[in-house]
Amino acid sequence: MAQRAVWLISHEPGSPLCGTVRFSRRYPTVEKRAKVFNGASYVPVPEDGPFLKALLFELRLLRDDKDFSESRDSCSHINKTSIYALPIGGEELWPVVAFMKNGMIYACVPLVEQTLSPRPPLISISGISQGFELLFGIQGFLYSGQKNDSELNTKLSQLPDLLLQACPFGTLLDANLQNSLDSINFASVTHPQKQPTWKAGTYKGKPQVSISITEKVKSMQYDKQDIADTWQVIGVVTCKVPVPPILGFYQVKEEEVQLKITVNLKLHESVKNSFEFCEARIPFYNRGPVTHVEYKVSFGQLEVFREKSLLIWNIGQKFPKSMEISLSGTVTFGAKSHEKQPFDQICIGGTAYLKLHFRILDYTLTGCYADQHSVQVFASGKPKISTYRKLISSDYYIWNSKAPAPVTYGSLSLFSTDNASPSCVHAKRTTLPSIHHCLLSSLPAKHALFCATYTNCRKHPEMYGTH
Amino acid sequence: MGPTSRETWAQRLGTFRASPSTFMAGPEGEDLGRHLLSDLRSEKLSEPTKVSLLALSLEYPAQLWPDAPAAEVAATSLLDTLVLLPPRPSALRRPLLLAATTALAAGGALGPTSRASRRLLPLLLGLASGRDLGRSFGPASEQRPLQATAWECLRELESCKPGLLGGCLGLLRGLLGQEAAVQPLSLLLALALRNALVIQARARAGLQGLLVAGDCPTEGGPWNWMLAEEGDAHLQPQAPSWPAAEEGECCLATLELSPEEARELRAAVAQLLDISYLLTPVAQAQLLWLLGWALRGLRGQPPVLFKPQLVRLLGTAQLTLLHAVLALKAAFGEALFTAQDEALLLRRLILAAQHPALPLPAHLFYLHCLLNFPENWPLGPAGEEAAPLLLGSQLCRGLLPSLLHDPMALLARLHLLCLLCVEDEEKEEKGQDQSPRQYLEELLAGLRQRAALDGGPRALATLCFQASYLVARCLAGQPVVLTPLTHGLAQLYRARPALAPHFVDLLDRVGPELGEPLKVVLRQEVVSRPGRDEALRWHLQMLARVADGDAQSATLGFLQAAAARCTDWGLQQALLQVCRALLRAGVGGGLADLLQALARQLEDPDGRDHARLYYILLAHLEEPKLGVALGPSLAAPALASSLVAENQGFAAALMVQEAPAPIRLSMGPHRAKGPVPVLQLQVEVLEQVYSLELRFRVERQLYAPLGAVHVPCLCPGRPTRPLLLPLQPRRPAPARLAVRALYTTPSGLTCHAHLPPLLVNFADLFLPFPQPPEGAELGFFEELWDSCLPKGTESRLWCPVGPHGLEALVSRHLEPFVVVAQPPTSYLIAIRLPPDSRLLLRLEAAQADGVPVALRTDDWAVLPLVGDYLRGLSAAG
Repeated sequence: MAQRAVWLISHEPGSPLCGTVRFSRRYPTVEKRAKVFNGASYVPVPEDGPFLKALLFELRLLRDDKDFSESRDSCSHINKTSIYALPIGGEELWPVVAFMKNGMIYACVPLVEQTLSPRPPLISISGISQGFELLFGIQGFLYSGQKNDSELNTKLSQLPDLLLQACPFGTLLDANLQNSLDSINFASVTHPQKQPTWKAGTYKGKPQVSISITEKVKSMQYDKQDIADTWQVIGVVTCKVPVPPILGFYQVKEEEVQLKITVNLKLHESVKNSFEFCEARIPFYNRGPVTHVEYKVSFGQLEVFREKSLLIWNIGQKFPKSMEISLSGTVTFGAKSHEKQPFDQICIGGTAYLKLHFRILDYTLTGCYADQHSVQVFASGKPKISTYRKLISSDYYIWNSKAPAPVTYGSLSLFSTDNASPSCVHAKRTTLPSIHHCLLSSLPAKHALFCATYTNCRKHPEMYGTH
Repeated sequence: MGPTSRETWAQRLGTFRASPSTFMAGPEGEDLGRHLLSDLRSEKLSEPTKVSLLALSLEYPAQLWPDAPAAEVAATSLLDTLVLLPPRPSALRRPLLLAATTALAAGGALGPTSRASRRLLPLLLGLASGRDLGRSFGPASEQRPLQATAWECLRELESCKPGLLGGCLGLLRGLLGQEAAVQPLSLLLALALRNALVIQARARAGLQGLLVAGDCPTEGGPWNWMLAEEGDAHLQPQAPSWPAAEEGECCLATLELSPEEARELRAAVAQLLDISYLLTPVAQAQLLWLLGWALRGLRGQPPVLFKPQLVRLLGTAQLTLLHAVLALKAAFGEALFTAQDEALLLRRLILAAQHPALPLPAHLFYLHCLLNFPENWPLGPAGEEAAPLLLGSQLCRGLLPSLLHDPMALLARLHLLCLLCVEDEEKEEKGQDQSPRQYLEELLAGLRQRAALDGGPRALATLCFQASYLVARCLAGQPVVLTPLTHGLAQLYRARPALAPHFVDLLDRVGPELGEPLKVVLRQEVVSRPGRDEALRWHLQMLARVADGDAQSATLGFLQAAAARCTDWGLQQALLQVCRALLRAGVGGGLADLLQALARQLEDPDGRDHARLYYILLAHLEEPKLGVALGPSLAAPALASSLVAENQGFAAALMVQEAPAPIRLSMGPHRAKGPVPVLQLQVEVLEQVYSLELRFRVERQLYAPLGAVHVPCLCPGRPTRPLLLPLQPRRPAPARLAVRALYTTPSGLTCHAHLPPLLVNFADLFLPFPQPPEGAELGFFEELWDSCLPKGTESRLWCPVGPHGLEALVSRHLEPFVVVAQPPTSYLIAIRLPPDSRLLLRLEAAQADGVPVALRTDDWAVLPLVGDYLRGLSAAG
């Protein structure tokens, strides 16, 4: 269970190589084991240059895709995981865990402690999940609070030291690199304290535990007879089946160069009418820039981003007493120029959507909460315990009901609504089943220094480790 | 040489990292390792520079110190540097420990004979266990980080040399009870325990009190290498792969533990598990993989020890932990996991595979775990992806693919949907609402719609074809899915012919269930609508793949119409590719007309030549041979001439190949009649040949060029007729004929062979004059005799006669040419020598031993030949 090597590569589409290796680290003791375990199927970890080239090609980042290339575009070349086989020097390096995020490619090669021919299933290789955690950890570290290139460079320069701490021999000790950074910074504290020793440094400040419950609500609303609306709440424990917090419709009619739009939104009466923010984004794809807008809103303000062909309806912190608001207007577009206006593969012809973005603090749709008095901490010291809740919109779409729209989960009639649905909540607009028992997905707590597992949130969340 | 400056090192390290192999091959490569070690002690270099030097040695020890002795020297030097550090805080101690460990382990120097190993091991153990090592080991503030590092070093050494710490198990257990570095100690203990169990099981020994053994050696004291030596030959997976994958390798079943040992073992494992919550999630996961493997197959050690941990672990959202739980599930099955646990795990996976707080790569890995879920009672064959039994469509609804997904997620979810469709098919058709199959159809239609977008990115098209391929593979047996897919794809082609390369690729890869019907509809699609000009090249590319013996006239009609619009080289080549496909498919008549037309009308000479070649092939080769000659499909010609680019199989099949002679030729009896001399050739057949063509070349051009002789078939053992070869001499002279044979073997190859030359004798050219009317013979002869002079010449010579006398000699050799005979003493002989010479002989008044010969000829050049001939006659008898 170890990594043979790890790389960070920035993707630079314009440059000759299309990318640069920003960081790499090899683990020779692991490599030595790989040689023994893999036997005849052993393929050595290549140098940075060949690896960069092979990986970019495999990730389809090397060249433009004007012409069909069999090795890249063949229908049988299917990747369903972020794990690749890289052809290097006539052999195939496998498994290579790799993914791109924010223009940076994260990659590592986990040790497989057996022969690679035939290839064992990925699920049987312990180093795969470890590799993911390592890369997620690095990514989390690089982008926590990072805003510009110089900060990124600073963080990249800290990486060798951090990995020396968190992964000295290729076996990951802690995926949270921030912990390692702390331990480097506080390594000079004079007297040792009682604390988990995997965290070799000490933490200055009051011990503190915070529990935050975040729910995300997704929705697809079609306003059509034959397609049922869907919504999904994730992050839930025991709950009532909720309603979609905001129900609405969106109608677009094309009249020559103009679009006539009508939007109607209604906040459900049971939902807390106090938003941190709430806005509806109305994008127009595959058209020219907006040249003229005439509109009427019953509430809030409308902002027009002409070049981006985007309207943002800022609804603000509260819905009015009637709980219902509307927008109607006509939008005129100029000539289409391919460079600037957004292209979209789905919004072709009349197909269009508006997307709601909102956040409600100290509220969950499901009623889920953590009781701070019931939190037990098995460690010395008395940490301060605080709990938070919030509801966040996530992929909350309302589709134009006057044109075809992509059906996402299938119409709900595909599966009869079952009251014992275990994992997530779906409901029909017409029939709302009453009680669901749902599992909580314990979100990976980013800054938390504990690992919490809930079986039933209304009872007592158990804590089994902190410092 | 003095120490190198910081800048020089920075530059040197940069060059090295850019390409280690290039650097090592250069002038600085050889001494890099030595310089690095010596500069670590230089007082002129700052600590950060030294740390960067050590970082290099951590990554590239094999390059710096390529063999075990060099690694031993390096480790010794690193340890010396460590000991010599002044007792103030320093950033070098940790990396020095790591570097010494790496050098020994990676360099293969670790062992009882290595002095550096004998120094490093007790030092690490002393640091780790918190023994006072004196002031030389830095200030107190560094002790904790150094302690953790020392544990990690020990664990790495145990990983590379299993059994190394087998003698310290008791000590490690004791330390775990005290307040010490819980995480590294737990992991090391678990690893050493597992290794000890495996080694002892292999040696068929018990634990021999290892778990309760006392103290460990200090620096300089003897280290117990016994277990390590035994374990050396068998490096053990630390977190071995899926149990099913290496069934039979687990040898722990042979381990015999006393009740006392079993109790101690249980206690040690329970102790490790009990405090495992203090470890980071990734470390917990390692511990579980290790202990799960350690206990699997061990008699009398029920996995129930894990049960208390499962209560908390089943709910984890940590990727590595969930993965470790799946490993436990695979290892212990229902001995540890109830059906409810299994259902719960599945639900966790379903949720994790779509949770918005998790990144896409994690979603995809969880989906993979779902399709490879280690079920308690799996139904399908092992090793194949399948939807777990408990995973109904109910549970999967959140995992269905949609157009909004990232391509990888879409494909992974699509696979799941296909598996559901298989199940759906197996169950009774419910006939209500929308089935997964209908959903699948809608999704595929959506994908095609996006792929059809003119000018859309290629990735969208690729995705559409990948999805189609996946569906065709998973649902090959379901026409109800494949039929709409086929028609949908045909529509897609109609909308965007530029996707032809994708279609060709798809046809090359799918099975006949989709491939055959798709071929038919695509061909119809192409030939029924003569597309716009810009689509023509795609149509031709498509047709080259789908054209076959069916619908010939429509295809040929399309090609004829297209030929007029094939104005550039590329289009012409594409057109010819279709012709080639038709040739291979055995299309005949209409194609010949088309090829002839192309050979005339194409603008490009290369295209015309190509068409002509195909026409010749079609006209001359039989169908099976055409198939062989044209071989598999041909890559797009990249050379200036497409003819040159015809592939190797084509060349091999059509090139004439040199071979040993399949027949033997010899001269048959001379036949003196007719207007020209004709050779009768006897044939002896050695091998079966077809279409034999014999070509003759007359040396020195004494005769006019000879026509070839053709024989359709020759078989060894069957009688053959003689071959007749007419000669047209330019001069009446003997000659040598060079002979070559061209023929086809039964396997279809064309060969040629050189045969031994044939000799044409002077006498072989003799022809008689036409028979004069009866009674006029003498006058005829005398007239000829007189006409030879004055142009010609006369000669007399003595011709010896053999024992049979003149009569026998004449009848044997000169019979056809005798004009007047008065046997046995006198003969008048007239011989025509083509092209237009004559030879007249008077054989009169023969005696017992010879006859005087008077001869006249109008060509004096033949005189020496005649002399030789006549003298030869007597010798021949």
